Amino acid sequence: MNSICKSYRNIGFETQVLKNITLHINEGDYVSIIGPSGAGKSTLMAIAGCLSQPTSGEYILDGEEVGKLSDRKLSRVRNEKIGFVFQAFHLLPGVTALDNVILPLVYSRNPPSDIKERAREVLAKVGLEHRLHHTPGQLSGGEQQRVTIARSLINNPPIILADEPTGNLDSKNGMETMKTFDKLVKEGKTIVLITHDSEVAEHADRIISIRDGEIASDTKRQPSNLSGNL
Amino acid sequence: MRIFKNFGQALRGLRLNRGNTLLMTIGVMIGIASLTVIVAIGFGIKVKVLDRIANLGFGPESFSVIAGGGKMFFSRSKNTTSMSLQDAEDLLALPTVRLVVPRQRKRMQIINKKEFTNTRVYGVTPDWQRARGWHVVDGVFLSDSDMDRKRKVVVLGATPVRKLFKNADPIGKMVRLQNNFYEVIGSLQEKGLTESGYDPDDRALIPLTTSMARLTRERHLHSIKVVTLDASQVPETMEAVKHVLRRNHSLSILSEDDFRFITPEGIMEWVTESAQAMNRMLILISTVSLLVGGVVIMNILLVSIRERVREIGIRRCFGARKSDITLQFLFESVLVSLLGGILGIGLGLSISFGLQRFDILPTQVTWEPFALSFVFCTLIGLVFGIHPARKAALMSPEEAIRS
Repeated sequence: MNSICKSYRNIGFETQVLKNITLHINEGDYVSIIGPSGAGKSTLMAIAGCLSQPTSGEYILDGEEVGKLSDRKLSRVRNEKIGFVFQAFHLLPGVTALDNVILPLVYSRNPPSDIKERAREVLAKVGLEHRLHHTPGQLSGGEQQRVTIARSLINNPPIILADEPTGNLDSKNGMETMKTFDKLVKEGKTIVLITHDSEVAEHADRIISIRDGEIASDTKRQPSNLSGNL
Repeated sequence: MRIFKNFGQALRGLRLNRGNTLLMTIGVMIGIASLTVIVAIGFGIKVKVLDRIANLGFGPESFSVIAGGGKMFFSRSKNTTSMSLQDAEDLLALPTVRLVVPRQRKRMQIINKKEFTNTRVYGVTPDWQRARGWHVVDGVFLSDSDMDRKRKVVVLGATPVRKLFKNADPIGKMVRLQNNFYEVIGSLQEKGLTESGYDPDDRALIPLTTSMARLTRERHLHSIKVVTLDASQVPETMEAVKHVLRRNHSLSILSEDDFRFITPEGIMEWVTESAQAMNRMLILISTVSLLVGGVVIMNILLVSIRERVREIGIRRCFGARKSDITLQFLFESVLVSLLGGILGIGLGLSISFGLQRFDILPTQVTWEPFALSFVFCTLIGLVFGIHPARKAALMSPEEAIRS
């Protein structure tokens, strides 16, 4: 990411949310972005996830400049390279856990032949094998969050973007979720975690702090620290 | 492949938004059904009216003079007592006139013992048969001597014969009109119902003189039918008739006619005019009902799409292209239109046939309103279903999921 600016125009007012953010995230990184609300975290994630385009600056993902991609290509990037986990879950209401998890495969270019089997596997991975045919309304918050994680994983994307994944959960479910992320990193995924909770942020190897649309600090934990724990 | 997937998602979308699907289907259904029923009723009435007019029994060489001034057919006539038998005789004396049929008409009950029916009773002269060319199948027609002696005899149409005598031979039997018994001397050839249900056989004919003396107890005529020698003579004969009648009724130059003409051309003109008026009315009503239906569908669609912007955002986050969203909503709209269309056609047909079957209103089903409303509802569905979905798809997914 190179000098990203994002501003919103609202009836004559122009609010600059991100100011010249330059950021480089490597494959396999476990990054958390922390900052008070309104600092621009979610905006940053939307750009990182190709959900919106920066007002200026360039974003290069896996060697491709995102701003120059067509809708077709962008959709493919979202579909194949990125898995989203949202604070508000964003599950399709009234649709079973299984079908919600399948959603990315519906739009996949080369879906596996055993779609349902894949979905069952991923749901089992997050411990929901007994909830396949429940709709979001019939699931608890923690379970819903696990469905969204399963959904983000089904297409096996290299990057997971999580926006306040613990924000709507109690501490026990929050811990569960974080453990899942810790596990995913070890499987080689790149994880970008957005949070305002420093305890959650501590799970990451690199903590980027954002304040008023600018990077306030970017600290890496000693790699030895992590390997020491292994 | 993508197309099938989006079709599947559309089916799922419709199932999940059952409420909206139902409302929209009903909207389309009612839009189509109401239009088709209204048009069917309009056409039904039109056909019936035109049919009735066509059944007045006019040849090209004849016309009628109706007592009382004013416009043709409608508007109550003033001064209806002025036309006399003398007028009819004077008209017959005109060189171009072949026949005249003076006539009185009254609708009343006709009774045979315990059987009775309501029919149109005409007081006519023997020339009626020649003027109409209508044969007697059984017995004889009214004769000059029946006229002269004011005999209480009657010639029945096929309908009263059937109703009063079932299968028995009516000739020589007595039927009652008001307080007098009449002998049945003949029955008319059956013409059968017209397409619209008008029954030309529902009539009874008695001598005009008897009618004047016993039935209507009026000295004046209700109408005179004039048959000319040739169709080309109709205009000049009308002028002559006008002259005679004005003189006989001693009308001053300033007074209006106290009679009016019904001519074949007049009827045609009137038919054309009324057909046009009815067409205009039908077009107006159709347009209004289509617009109402369209507005209903449009509103439901606008509300339902607004509710679904978030869903669109979610789908976009996980790899749906703009075209995927458009396709899905296109399928949803088309499916709703098809379903609503089929139901609407079914409902429209059943109501139209029901109205006709149970004699509530005449209806005439045509295919145009079905096609028109179907196309219109589908178009509305496409425009107002896809446009907002397309707009939602064009938003950045970030904005869409936050809405």
